Formats: sequence, structure tokens, C-alpha cells
Amino acid sequence: MGGSMVRRFLNARSPLRLLEQGLHGGLGRGHLGLVLAGRGVGKSSFVVDVALDELLHGKPVLHVALDHTVQHVRAHYDTVFEELAATTHLENASAVRVELDRLRRIRAYPASAFDAKRLGEALELEREVGTQPELVVVDGLDVENHAREDLEQWAAVARQANVEIWITGNAPGERIDALPAALQPLEDLFSVILKLEPGPEAVALRALKDHGNPDVSALHVALDPKTLLLVRN
Amino acid sequence: MITELSKIRNIGISAHIDSGKTTLTERILFYTKRIHKISEVRGKDGVGATMDFMELEKERGITIQSAATYTTWDDHFVNIIDTPGHVDFTIEVERSLRVLDGAILVLCGVAGVQSQSLTVDRQMRRYKVPRLAFINKLDRSGANPRRVTEALREKLAHNAVMMQIPIGVEADHAGVIDLITMEAVGFDGEQGEIIVRGPIPTEFQDEANVARETMLDAVSMFSDELTEAILDGNVTEPLIHEAVRRGTLSRELTPVFMGSAYKNKGVQLLLDAVVRYLPNPTEVENTAVDLSADEAPIVLSSDPQKPLVCLAFKLEEGRYGQLTYTRVYQGALAKGGTIINARTRKKHKVGRLVRMHADSMEDIESAGSGDIVALFGIECASGDTFTDGTIDVAMSSMHVPAPVVSIAVKPKDNKASDNMGKAIGRFVREDPTFRAHVDRESNETILSGMGELHLDVYIERMKREYKVEVETGAPQVAYREALSQKAEFNYTHRKQTGGSGQYGKVAGYIEPLPEGDERAFEFVNEIRGGAIPTEYISAVEKGFASALEKGRLIGFPIIGVRVVINDGGAHAVDSSEMAFVAAARGAFRSCYGASKPIILEPVMKLAVEGPAEFQGAALKTIMQRRGTVIGTTEESGFCRVEAEVPLAEMFGYATDLRSQTQGKAEFTMEFARYLPCPSETTKELLEKYADRRKIEDE
Repeated sequence: MGGSMVRRFLNARSPLRLLEQGLHGGLGRGHLGLVLAGRGVGKSSFVVDVALDELLHGKPVLHVALDHTVQHVRAHYDTVFEELAATTHLENASAVRVELDRLRRIRAYPASAFDAKRLGEALELEREVGTQPELVVVDGLDVENHAREDLEQWAAVARQANVEIWITGNAPGERIDALPAALQPLEDLFSVILKLEPGPEAVALRALKDHGNPDVSALHVALDPKTLLLVRN
Repeated sequence: MITELSKIRNIGISAHIDSGKTTLTERILFYTKRIHKISEVRGKDGVGATMDFMELEKERGITIQSAATYTTWDDHFVNIIDTPGHVDFTIEVERSLRVLDGAILVLCGVAGVQSQSLTVDRQMRRYKVPRLAFINKLDRSGANPRRVTEALREKLAHNAVMMQIPIGVEADHAGVIDLITMEAVGFDGEQGEIIVRGPIPTEFQDEANVARETMLDAVSMFSDELTEAILDGNVTEPLIHEAVRRGTLSRELTPVFMGSAYKNKGVQLLLDAVVRYLPNPTEVENTAVDLSADEAPIVLSSDPQKPLVCLAFKLEEGRYGQLTYTRVYQGALAKGGTIINARTRKKHKVGRLVRMHADSMEDIESAGSGDIVALFGIECASGDTFTDGTIDVAMSSMHVPAPVVSIAVKPKDNKASDNMGKAIGRFVREDPTFRAHVDRESNETILSGMGELHLDVYIERMKREYKVEVETGAPQVAYREALSQKAEFNYTHRKQTGGSGQYGKVAGYIEPLPEGDERAFEFVNEIRGGAIPTEYISAVEKGFASALEKGRLIGFPIIGVRVVINDGGAHAVDSSEMAFVAAARGAFRSCYGASKPIILEPVMKLAVEGPAEFQGAALKTIMQRRGTVIGTTEESGFCRVEAEVPLAEMFGYATDLRSQTQGKAEFTMEFARYLPCPSETTKELLEKYADRRKIEDE
């Protein structure tokens, strides 16, 4: 895949670079990460960016969409990718997109039917047919009402399969100062917890939890409200 | 006879194979008294359902050709277009959809929304067809209309609302509860022809109350009067009907009806709904293009006094000559009148005008806008527009995809050869996605179409209808060639062989068209100052266009090319059109190699559906075929895998999938796009082509 394209994107637009710096190294395989935001702020876009970063590194990604169709998710990737290709003046965009399509797996489920068992089965199935995702994003899970015992199993799946799992969660309001009360009993299951807050010109990305690090203030990133890519300077 | 427009309904019945569409049509014709006997699709009496009039269709138990049939219900006139169910025949489906004003989407009460339903639904959206849903086969084991309604909402994103609930399902299926009248409806008599309305059985009362409330909630979105009536507690039936109708016409609501056509349940109520909720011809906007004003779109009016515009949407070779199924969009068509084909400009006299009922017909004197009738003995192609000659319009062109697969055919004996020509001639006129040509080099007849099955059906029809036995070659993929970079040319064509010579000089460059530009060829003339006299420019364009017909890599057409000419030269005596055609061809040949051409292959959109336990097996069949899995949807024990797979890898897929999944998975496939071939495939194709050339040279 176009190496210079990857570098340009990673340096110019991917929130992951600053995220990794701000987080002392990122989420890491075998861990669960949670990204919180109010409705419509852009959780889905954020995990699509995280996934695209991985895909542009040539690594397979499993995207689990709950209560959304495959076409919907694919269109989301295409939109972000087009924005990216346009701002980085990518010449062979369609060839890169074909390559990304090959590396990305979208799996759609009804939210009520998705649990750790399904996640394990999905990863197993992907392995059987020769794809070994290192990153899984799960978009649309009702985290606060999901059984703790099941989420414990998710952490076990992440460790066993050696994958990094990002989950999106709804926050009740726009301002998120601390972990919402409903999520506090689940805090220990997530190694990293991020929040997205809408601002007048950009969405702010901050950390609420970074592994065992007491100082989470190092992370301060401004994201484009449409694509959740880094705001262009 | 010109019918009052508000009483006409032109509807289609569209569905997945085996959802019982033909049985439903058969019942509709029975209850509307167009036929007097019900025969099953796979009936033992060997008659077959009336709509399935072609022998081949009878044998397979499916409807391949769309036929129009005319019937009446509740003082209304209903034209039913029976549409084919398989994706390989989408042109037939799409052409039918073009002439419909509304449709019934038939869904199997057990299998629900299947892959074909998705394709058909997408097509209906494209042609903006309002629709009702009918959930059939409620008598079957595992039937669950709620689940199917839910699937309509989730998979097809319909605002599907149940207008009825079943009185029992599977073996207990006894009828339906009408949520508008709040009555239990039974279907008595030997063939369900006697409708019995009665109070709702106590055990269904609660369920019916809840379902009615849900229905009213959804329906009231389309009527403030109904919302008010709900609040005031004085809801009336007409208020509900009006709101449902509004929602349906706006395509924001899909009312759901149900029953079992096979067990004669629910069909008459569906007919009531067709008449009540689907649009009449005046409620649908139809546009044509104005050929005298650079194809500007114009809206047609149903006024019978206006100039005639009608569309020939289907041709059939009948016992009495060619039958042309026609929809009148504006004005009136009368026996004895004269009509003009907008494409060929030929005049035709309307000799005989008939209304069709499957394979019998009824003579009529005239037909008004909104009518669907058949003409006799008019030479034309499917998709042609006819007018009365006072206006110059054509119905907007229909989306006709290019064929992606071809096969060489050879008649087994000389006698068959003549008939093969006749058969092909007719098929080509009937179906624009089916094409035929004779390969100049091999002298073989090549048939091209949208898929393996598409071609198979025509080969079988040749055998059955024309008694032509043919030998077929292996199916061939329609590859394309394309440039990958800009290349310049400066070419002089000069020939002096006594008498006047030939001279033409062209200079400029070729380059790939930008990504996403779907044109095959763009010609740009940047010559200033007349280096090439204006009268020869079109010859230059013609020369380049002809050079693109056959690329030099593997002999397939070249697409996505922009040719820019910016200089050249001419000779006062020796230049001619012919010389410039030759110069352009030579120029293209001279620089094609420098443009680093590549081979493109057709990639198909594939959807495989089946029980979730076969997901792994289905995924493997895709991976083995250089496929890209786009996504998987898992729900209630079923899964659907969507992928893109090169067509070259898809031959024999049906057999393979069947054996990998114990016959429990099924697939649909349609053309998605052209993509560059991987280097290995390119190498193979180049070698194969080189070998073929070598053999031909020897």
C-alpha cells in the first residue's frame, strides 16, 4: 500500500499518533478500551479512524456493528477515507481503498444478540479463513446496561486472542467530567477510557483513564467534528 | 374504451423465487374471475399456473418472462405485471418496474427477507414504486409474520406496519384479524372465496388491541386528522384508510398484509388494499426527455387529449406474430391510428389493440393514458417510445448494464443454423442485456449477457422454442483494457500507390479518464488555427473510437480513455476522411504501449445467505475465489455474507456452494465494477492471448 500516503496520513490526520503520545503508548493488544461521548458527537467516526489507522498499516481489522447494516458501516469508512484521500492528495485512492476493503471485516448483529461468546466465535471464524485481526472495534453496545460478567469475558477474549478492543459507549450529557455513575462499577475492565466533547469548532478528545497512569492530562487533542480526524492546521 | 383514470391500478408482484408469487397471482386471477380454475405452480395436472405460460417456466416452476394481465376488482381495473424473480433477469424486472405505479412485495413467511428481496427492493426504490407487503405461506412450519415485518424494517429499512395479525400460524392458520375494522376474517368455501367476518376470538383480543395501537401510532404520522381523532377517541375507518394511503404514496410507509395464497387465505383483503392504497396513474409523475430540446426532461400528463406518448416495454413472439406490450403515459392510443417510433422515425398503423390476460386476449378499440395494452405486428425493440408524431419525445432511457460474460455457440447442424439466427434476433430485441455478434477472427457466434444462468436460459429457449441444438464453448469473461498513464503521439499516415495518395497527420496525447468517470471514451479537439481542417475532425474521432474496440494486450475493448488532439497536418489533394481515420488508428497504435496499459476484470457483488452454521463454509468459498468479504450479518440463526468477487472465479459457483453448505445456502450476484487484474492473472491472460494469436497465425 502507498507508503508515503500512510506516512502523510499518520502524521497529518490520524488522532492515533497524538493519542499514543498522550497515552504513554496507546491501548495495547489484550486490552479493552472505551470511548465515551454524547449522542451524535462522533464515537462511530472515532473508531472508524482508529480502524483506518490500523488498516493503513496493512493490518486486518474486525468492525462489529450493532444495530447498523454492513452498508451503513462501509459507507462511513468510505466517507472518512474520501476526506483523507482528498486532503492528502492521494493519487491511487481506488487501489488503496480496494486494499483496505480486503483487510477490513464488518460484522453486523442485533445489539441484543451480541455477547462475549459471539465475539469469540467471530474471531475464531476470521482466523479459520485466514484473517488475524489485531484490532476489534465494537460500535453500538449499550455498555452501561450490559452484564458485568459478560464484559469480564470480553476482557478474557481480548487477552486470549491477543487483540486490542475498542468499544463505544453513550454518555448522558455533552460535558463529561468523570466516568458516569452507571459505568463506575465497570471501570476496572477497561485499560483506557477516553471521552469526546463537542466544542464550537472542534471535538476535544481527553482521557479519563490511561492504564495505571495517574496523570491523564497529557492528552489533549482537537478533532474535526465531521470526520473526527485531527483538525488541519 | 378509455377508463376513468382514478380506477386504474398498474401493479407488479415482485419477490424472491419460491415466495409463492405465481400462486398468489393465480389466486388473484381466480378471485377476480379472470380464470375459473386454480392450478398449482407445480401442479400434477400439467397445466401450470396461468401466468407461467412459457414451457420452460412451467417446468422450473418459476416465472422468467414478465407478462401483463388485466383484471377487475371492486369496480377498479388492475393491470398486473408479473415480474421475474431471479437476479440474472434484472433487466426484465427493471423494465417492468418502469411501467408500474405500485407493487406488492411478496415475502415468504418462513424465510422472510432473502437476498433477492434486497435486490428487487433496491430496484423499486430506484423507480420510486410505492409498495404493499404480503407475507405469504403462513401455513408453513416456522412461519412468523412478526419476524418478517421486523426484517422488513431492519434489512430493507421500510417503515413496515402490520395491518393485520394472523389467526394462528402453521397448521392452525385460519385467517387474519383486520386491525382497521377489528374483525376476524375467515375464508370459507372450497377455494376460500367466501369471506366471513366476525368478532375477534377472545384469545386474540389483547394481541389485536396492542397491534392496532401500534398500527395507529405509525399511520397517524401521515394524518393530523387521524391524530386528532385518536386523541378524541373517534377514529373512523375512512380516516385510517386515507392516512395509510398517504403514507404508502409517499413511500414512507409499507402496510403489511398476510395470509397463505396456497391455502386461499388473505388474498381478497390484499386486493382491497391494492385498490385502496396503491396509486392510480395520475398520482405518479412520469417524465420523458424532449428530443427537440437537447433531451431536457419533461413531465407527462395523463390527459387523454394531449399528444400520445407510449412505451413498448416488452415484446413477445406470439402465435399471431409479434406482440408489443405498451404502456400509455399520455394521450390515447386508438385502433386504426398512426404512431411514430421516436428512435427509428418509422410510421406504424395500429392494426389491432388488445388487452392481455396471460395467454389469451381481448380486442379493444382504444386505450388511454395509464393503460397497459398490447399491439400487434409493430416492428420495434423493447424500450422504444411511440408518439403520434406531433411531439418529439422519448421516455427517459433505462439503465442498461453492459454484459459481463460471453459464450461461443455453434449450431449442431446446418438446418439449425437458420433457426439459431431467428432465435437470436428475437432474443436481442426482447432483452437489451442479451447481445450477440460474430467474432471476425474465429467466425464463431458469441452470445453475451449478465451471467451464466442468463445465457443458459436463452440456450435452452433456443432448443425448446426453435429446435436449435447448439454446442457451447466455455463461458468467457468480458475483460477490458485501460491506460495507466499519459502517452503522446505524433503520427503521419502517408500512402502513395499511384493515383491520388493518402495523407493525414495527427498529434496530441492519450490519458486515462479520472477515476469514477464511467465513459469509455472522451475526444477533445484542442487544435487552433486549422492544422487539421474541420471537416476531417470527426474522421479522426472515428478512427480513435474504432482503435479502442480491440486492445492489443488481450484483444478486449479499451475503456476510460481521453484522447486530446492538438496538432496535425493535411494535404490539399491526398487528405481524405479515410486517410484521417487511418492516421488516428495508427496514432493510437503508436502510443498505446507507452501508456502502460492494464487489464481490468469485472467484479461482481455477491450475497450468500443461509443458516449461520454454514458461515465458515460460505466464507471459504469466497476466499478461494480471490473474493473480498465486505461484511457479514448474523441474525436469528441466519447469516448473510456480502462480498465482491471477480466474475472469472464465479463459474460453477452454484454447484460448489451447494456442496459446501448441503444445499442450504443460496446466492445472488450482480455486476459491481471493473477493477485491475492482479499481476498473476494478467500474466496468464497475456500468455493465453499470445498462444491464441500464434495458433491463428499458423
